Amino acid sequence: MSAGVTGVTSVIVRLKLSLLRNGLRQSTGRAVAYIASAVAVLLVSVLQLIGLIALRGHAHAASVVVLLVAVLAVGWAVMPLFFPGGDETLDPTRLVMLPLRPRPLVRALLVSSLVGIGPVFTLCMLTGSVISVAHGGTAYGFGVVGIVLALLVCMALARTVATANIRLLTSRKGRDLAVLSGLVVAIGAQVVNFGAQRLGSGGLAQLDGPAEVLKWVPPGSAIAAADSASEGSYGIAVLQLALSVAALVVLIAVWSRHLTRLMTAPDGSTLQAASEPAARRRTSTGLARLLPAGRTGTVMERSLRYVWRDPKTKAAWVTSLAIGLIVPVFNALQGTGSIYFACFAAGMLGVQMYNQFGQDTSAFWMVAMTISSTRDAYVELRARALALLVITLPYATLVTVLTTALIDDWPKLPEVLGVSFALLGAMLATGAWTSARFPYSIPQEGYKNVAPGQSGLAFVSILGGMVAGALLCAPVIALTIWVNVSAGGDDWSWLLLPVGAAYGAAITVAGLRLAAPRTARRLPEILLAVSKG
Amino acid sequence: MTSAVRVQGLWKRFGQQVAVAGIDLELPAGKFIGLVGPNGAGKTTTLSMVTGLLRPDQGSVEVVGHDVWRDPVAVKARIGVLPEGLRLFERLSGRELLGYSGRLRGLPGAEVDKRAAQLLDVLDLAGAQHKLVVDYSTGMRKKIGLAAALLHNPEVLFLDEPFEGVDPVSAQTIRGVLERYTASGATVVFSSHVMELVESLCDWVAVMAAGRIRAHGPLAEVRGAAPSLQQAFLELVGAYGRDAGSDLDWLGGGATR
Repeated sequence: MSAGVTGVTSVIVRLKLSLLRNGLRQSTGRAVAYIASAVAVLLVSVLQLIGLIALRGHAHAASVVVLLVAVLAVGWAVMPLFFPGGDETLDPTRLVMLPLRPRPLVRALLVSSLVGIGPVFTLCMLTGSVISVAHGGTAYGFGVVGIVLALLVCMALARTVATANIRLLTSRKGRDLAVLSGLVVAIGAQVVNFGAQRLGSGGLAQLDGPAEVLKWVPPGSAIAAADSASEGSYGIAVLQLALSVAALVVLIAVWSRHLTRLMTAPDGSTLQAASEPAARRRTSTGLARLLPAGRTGTVMERSLRYVWRDPKTKAAWVTSLAIGLIVPVFNALQGTGSIYFACFAAGMLGVQMYNQFGQDTSAFWMVAMTISSTRDAYVELRARALALLVITLPYATLVTVLTTALIDDWPKLPEVLGVSFALLGAMLATGAWTSARFPYSIPQEGYKNVAPGQSGLAFVSILGGMVAGALLCAPVIALTIWVNVSAGGDDWSWLLLPVGAAYGAAITVAGLRLAAPRTARRLPEILLAVSKG
Repeated sequence: MTSAVRVQGLWKRFGQQVAVAGIDLELPAGKFIGLVGPNGAGKTTTLSMVTGLLRPDQGSVEVVGHDVWRDPVAVKARIGVLPEGLRLFERLSGRELLGYSGRLRGLPGAEVDKRAAQLLDVLDLAGAQHKLVVDYSTGMRKKIGLAAALLHNPEVLFLDEPFEGVDPVSAQTIRGVLERYTASGATVVFSSHVMELVESLCDWVAVMAAGRIRAHGPLAEVRGAAPSLQQAFLELVGAYGRDAGSDLDWLGGGATR
């Protein structure tokens, strides 16, 4: 039934193309974003291709190449876990009602995996890798086989991981996990940064050790075969290719088994949910007793609960907390930092005040139904700012003290704290105002933080707010500079602490007062703007 | 007789599309009122504008004698809303959600907790009260939404498709609560496209189609001579007698292709 087999393959490939096309058709913003990212990826592909070709003949070229392919494979393995929304054909449970046999289905899905920007990027990278290590016709022959094998291994790896974890990916907990993907990217960037710095000091020779192992691990081994063949070790090259073939076969077998089980076994996820014993009792007493009564305490309690329980909010907070700590402390550790970097913590955390109502999603209607006056809106916004301060004030203080200790410049502590508090106040004030003026939706699924079509709004809100925040903070900054340059200023620089704190508090109140009437007046418009996710 | 809701010349356009095209409506107080119409008739848009969640392009809305847009303090305290298609604060447990909602409305904490416990009990949610709302089923969400809408004992309750996707047991529970509520003189306005349900529950109906009110009045009056509300409704929206079967001559008969 070969006609039937190619039939399934072409249908699935066309399905993938239609999904891509329809995704683009949904909105021009999305189409523009997609085309822009496609162009960017192609540019990067070309650049890395040139880079890899330039590496040709370098002593450590083979090590670099093998490591790159290994990183690429890890990327493909991790991708489906964090970006499950990116490819709907990754979820075979959508095809479960169709009468398909596993073998043609596996083939069809594998071929359809090759459609997209990711595979093109991978292909460019693998091609560049082979060009940089292959010398001679035979080596290129091995290289071409290696490229195809490595590409297929990457695709099969992504599919296998996705299929094996499909229950996780389609469950609520799994989707919560996906939202934390931004964190992985952020921390991954730090690791890459750290690695690059080490490489910069130690040279490429450091790569040889790991590469020695990785050239036997598929799909790196498929590319390493081209290098082995260049050196005339054809036996080793064949062995390396064979390893990749074996890996591909094993991956496809595992994938196929999971797929069969997935397509034939009933989905018990809802049954589980129903018989699950009532979750542990969530008591409010501990937290609530410490908070003020009335609307203020109620709103603070909900905001603080959301920091912990809502994956989007949690991811945003953890990112802010991490970067707010990493930037000043790492810089201080490396001896490159200024003590004023400690203000970073206050700035990063202050960002959380932005788009407050967008963080509520369309549940904002529950808030809107209870705001009937400017006073209500003021109390609501103030409570949200207070909830933020409960975490931010101690944290910013801690980071500042820590940075000061690392740099060992204790006399500067009061003024840095003062600037921090003023900055925090400026961020809260501008955050409250932009929350009312430029609300936008935060999609709850996936890793995006702005709904399609609203990125301009988000950009204006955050960037404009930050510029305004910096301007608002300018008097305290100017005062700090003046104290530092004027003779004998050090004697009373401690005054900047109370001045900064008072200034921060004053502009926060002013910002809330300005934002409140606007919020009360524009409730339906805000609801409309935050309900698009 | 006082009216619970008075709507005059209500319009709403979304771009080119007119969602609500000039509605005038007076809903009597103390009744169980059904707003019926096919999908896309403008029911949700109308209810959103009446409850102050969506700003109309034109027209005025009064709830128990107070203008929704000019006197929000009086209106918001007197109405309860269960919207369709909007989320709740789903990362709270059912119990926390009620506590939050009641306290936001300014009720004393002890009173909120007492009412919440009773509502959870009556609506058969006591067993799931400590579970996060995000893990609730559709029926449970509707019930917790209803509880939140009832907590402050409103005079008028607006429910958008309260029975959509709800199993028969939960539907019966919701029904019981609503019947007890209207028996005390309160008003319920709810939208639905399930005619049997509306017919069995409501004593007053308004039929909407394509953004306009096609008929309104006591149930018997709107039904007229038709044997059921379903038939009367199909005639009103002009869908009666449309034959869908003539082109599908291959359908049925047991052949596999």
